[in-house]
Amino acid sequence: MSKGTSTPQNGSAQPDVAPAVPLSNLPPVVGINFGNSYASIAVFTKEGLAESIANEDGERQIACAISFHGEEVYIGNQAKQQLVKNSQNTIVGFRNLLGKKFSEIPQPTAPLTSAAVIQHPEQPDTAAYRVQVLQPAPSPLATSAQNTPAPSHAPTPRSEPTPAERVLTVSEVTSMFLRSLVQSAEDFMGRKAQGAVISVPAIFSDEQRKALRAAAEDAEIKVLQLIDEAGAAAAVTTTELWGESDGVNVLQPDRTQLLVDIGASGASIHVLSVREGLTYVLASAHTESISATQIDDKLIKFFAADFAKKTKVPLTVCPAASPADQRAEAKLRLAIEHTKRTISASPGAATCSVESLKDGMDYTGSINRMRFDMLASAVYGALASKVSELIASVAVDPHDVDEVVYIGGTGALPGLDDRLCVEVGLREEVETPFKRGTVIGGGVGDPTTVLARGCAAQAALIHGLGDSPEEKELKEAFTGKLTEVRATTRTIGLVFPDQLPEHKEVGGTWVPLVQKETAIPVRRIVEFDVGVAPSGEQLIACELWEVKEGIRVEKVVPPKSEDEEDEDDDEEPEEMEIKHRTLEKTTLLGTLSVPAKLAIQTKGKSKDAGKWFSHVRVQAIIGVDGAVEVELKEVGEGGSVAKVQVPGF
Amino acid sequence: MAAVQVLSIATEPIPASYKAPSAPSTSRISSPHPSGHRTLLPVGPAYLNHLRLSLHHSHSFSSLDKHLEAERERLAALHGDDGAGEDDLGVGDEEETPELLALDPKEWKKQDQYAVLGLSHLRYKATAEQIKIAHRKKVLKHHPDKKAGTTPAVSNSLYLAGVNQNTNDDAFFKCIQKAHEVLTNPEKRRQFDSVDPVFLELEEDIPTAQEIKSKNLDFFKALAPVFELYSRFSKVQPVPGLGHIDSTKEEVEGFYDFWYNFDSWRSFEWLDKEVNEGSDSRDDKRYTEKKNKSERARRKKEDIAKLRSLVDMALSLDPRIKRIKQQEKEAREAKKRAAAPGAPVKKTKQQEEEEKKKAELEAKQKEEEEKAARAEAKKQKAAAANAAKKARRQQRAAEEAAAA
Repeated sequence: MSKGTSTPQNGSAQPDVAPAVPLSNLPPVVGINFGNSYASIAVFTKEGLAESIANEDGERQIACAISFHGEEVYIGNQAKQQLVKNSQNTIVGFRNLLGKKFSEIPQPTAPLTSAAVIQHPEQPDTAAYRVQVLQPAPSPLATSAQNTPAPSHAPTPRSEPTPAERVLTVSEVTSMFLRSLVQSAEDFMGRKAQGAVISVPAIFSDEQRKALRAAAEDAEIKVLQLIDEAGAAAAVTTTELWGESDGVNVLQPDRTQLLVDIGASGASIHVLSVREGLTYVLASAHTESISATQIDDKLIKFFAADFAKKTKVPLTVCPAASPADQRAEAKLRLAIEHTKRTISASPGAATCSVESLKDGMDYTGSINRMRFDMLASAVYGALASKVSELIASVAVDPHDVDEVVYIGGTGALPGLDDRLCVEVGLREEVETPFKRGTVIGGGVGDPTTVLARGCAAQAALIHGLGDSPEEKELKEAFTGKLTEVRATTRTIGLVFPDQLPEHKEVGGTWVPLVQKETAIPVRRIVEFDVGVAPSGEQLIACELWEVKEGIRVEKVVPPKSEDEEDEDDDEEPEEMEIKHRTLEKTTLLGTLSVPAKLAIQTKGKSKDAGKWFSHVRVQAIIGVDGAVEVELKEVGEGGSVAKVQVPGF
Repeated sequence: MAAVQVLSIATEPIPASYKAPSAPSTSRISSPHPSGHRTLLPVGPAYLNHLRLSLHHSHSFSSLDKHLEAERERLAALHGDDGAGEDDLGVGDEEETPELLALDPKEWKKQDQYAVLGLSHLRYKATAEQIKIAHRKKVLKHHPDKKAGTTPAVSNSLYLAGVNQNTNDDAFFKCIQKAHEVLTNPEKRRQFDSVDPVFLELEEDIPTAQEIKSKNLDFFKALAPVFELYSRFSKVQPVPGLGHIDSTKEEVEGFYDFWYNFDSWRSFEWLDKEVNEGSDSRDDKRYTEKKNKSERARRKKEDIAKLRSLVDMALSLDPRIKRIKQQEKEAREAKKRAAAPGAPVKKTKQQEEEEKKKAELEAKQKEEEEKAARAEAKKQKAAAANAAKKARRQQRAAEEAAAA
């Protein structure tokens, strides 16, 4: 098996003899988050964790842009700078065009700010870009003693490069870009990448996926898997590290997750059911009407207005009125990237400065968080209503959402998180990366790097599979068709009967075993303490129930403080809704009853002192046919065992 | 594989009045979601296990568990040796007994230096690198800076309030430093290894010749470990082992040859008596030094004698020696027997003997002749001298007569 060693794959001549000198045990794989406007790459670092790495320019967020200037080709953020002066030779936004025919691409209505998409002159119905380049002149003929009558010591000067036109298909552009990403990763690792996992948006069609795969193969990248962005995120969010807050994993292994991915060209929202690492999408939505570009536009307008006010130079942007305005807009668009990052990272005001914005006037302005949130408010509001809509469509109460995950640079804006939690009506204790404080400083919750890290983790997982036929089958299963499963619809669990008033709802202590929306077959093992009577027959007894979970809404009038009263006299007392989770027992599946053999009395001064407890382990299995098997076992030598079985559907 | 979730739930005991309801035999869990199948996101180890479960294990959890267990063991075997080896070169973590921790640094000469550093499984085989690692480990654990504050005061007695009772805190640390000092200095380490307490213990268990004979012990089983034990002291490495019953004559001879000429580095400076601190007297010092020296020499002599007697004993008991002698004898006899029918061989031998005798006789004769010749020459010389004397005397007498 090649895992953990750097033995070359093709060294089959002497696989055992050659003592692999392990350069490192890290898998030589790359995770690529390939967005429409920005991409990021991740590899495994010395700590054995997938980490997003910076390219040669020191950028973790690598702009998806390629620019041709004379003999030079710029890729990434350098190419983006070219948008100001060399826009017609700069290609951006090519990912979404992958695998699409020219006739399928809508013609832009607004004036162009980058290289135009044209019909390929030779290939039928293919989208392409035309760029002006300088072709290096052919090197002078090799000189020889015969044909040089008057030898000179100076070499023959090269001729001037000649202007030429180059036509590049979308697929070629993608190959060039992916190659540069993988090259950066290889330079970081110091060896060749043996595989890559690339993220694709869920809206990508099969043709588009095929086109991406082909483009990657052209760039000599071995694609291990193309995963949906939701999948890439799940690969990170299901790890132990994700939920860590002060070294403790605060997340439940079974949870309902809201995934908000807001990118430059659109937003996708997913509601995921995470069940001990196994994840599926309950509902998803994609919209192009909400995007980070809208926030950018608002911000640019704000700064443009500020500039006009300060310098008395008129500036109209979004849309720009004149070529000078257009160039100013391009400059501002580059500058606000920095402003947005500052807003996300620090609570203070963020500045935006552009030299010679228009008519030779420089601009420096600042914006504080509150004003920024006000500008972005409309976009936030639209997003919140979209989320509410989606949650409602799958009959999940906002109260049932356990965790929110953000993806994309916009997701790092704290204003978005606050707004979303309040407007959608998520419960107070909902877990977000902001709450755990893992967003800032490249923490695990950093929305800009999540996808790339997920891809790298997934690449390592697939790379780690061996070469036996069984493992090969598994490898193929990852790239092949998606696995459809059946899932439970109700939660099952144990009720340990007691007469406490707070347990009146189900008549005892409720121990959930298998949550609803869990893919079957499933096995769950839980351990806990069961109280037994101090004397007489020490019995452990419980009932296996299927329950219906619901939400009870309680309307409460908040108590008014005395001194406020005279001010708000005329207002109606506002009611507050408090939501409680409820349980309703629906089906009794069986009962378990067994004498406790290993019960011990608790010692010490805690409130449970003197009581008798037995530590039990309960294993629940639901088979593919819906048959349930629950086994209760006392932990320890000679503990008693009880079992109950329920046949399938 | 299955992750066990430990819940912080403690249920109440069952009320005495509780009667278990009987579940209707028709009850089933609710059927799967009516909207159809769910599509899993193909990511993560959980998905991989799900695939394994459905593709290779026909949804049986126990079969999957077995597979994963086997896989883990295989991986552990694959990476295990370099995993631990890279880290600490196999130094490992030894348990520290209370007796060990209670060692007195003043008695450092008596402590087992290897045990203190947690190297008692390696002992004289420990490399310098391993000693370094072991020392670092122990220091990290026992450094007084780490212990300060962590050890609570032993008693709450009023009389001891405010008195620092942790004065003895770094005792074990001092032991560690001493052990490190000894083991990193090659000369001191050699001295300690010479009288390694574990070796001395094992040395006492060496069986005597009577024991082997009376208890009918297997020669090889009883003595191979003994020689192995001593081989550490050899300046020449590797040391030939005792071998086995079928060893060749050369091997056996090589073995005894080696052990009779055993070149040992063992010495006994470690057991020297310390010079009395209090006395400044030079005489005292010299006296002790002299004593030590003689004691060392005596011990060394004893050691050599002991080893010698051991080898003697082995030689006397070695079944192979008997076998080899037997074989040699047989070979001789076989030769003799083979030679008997052929006369010429014998003849030549007889002739040889005759020749030899002849030569001897001749040599004797020659010698006698030479002797006689020498004797004659002496006589002649003496006669000549006498003649000369006589002549002189006569001459003098003549002269005297003439004068008179």
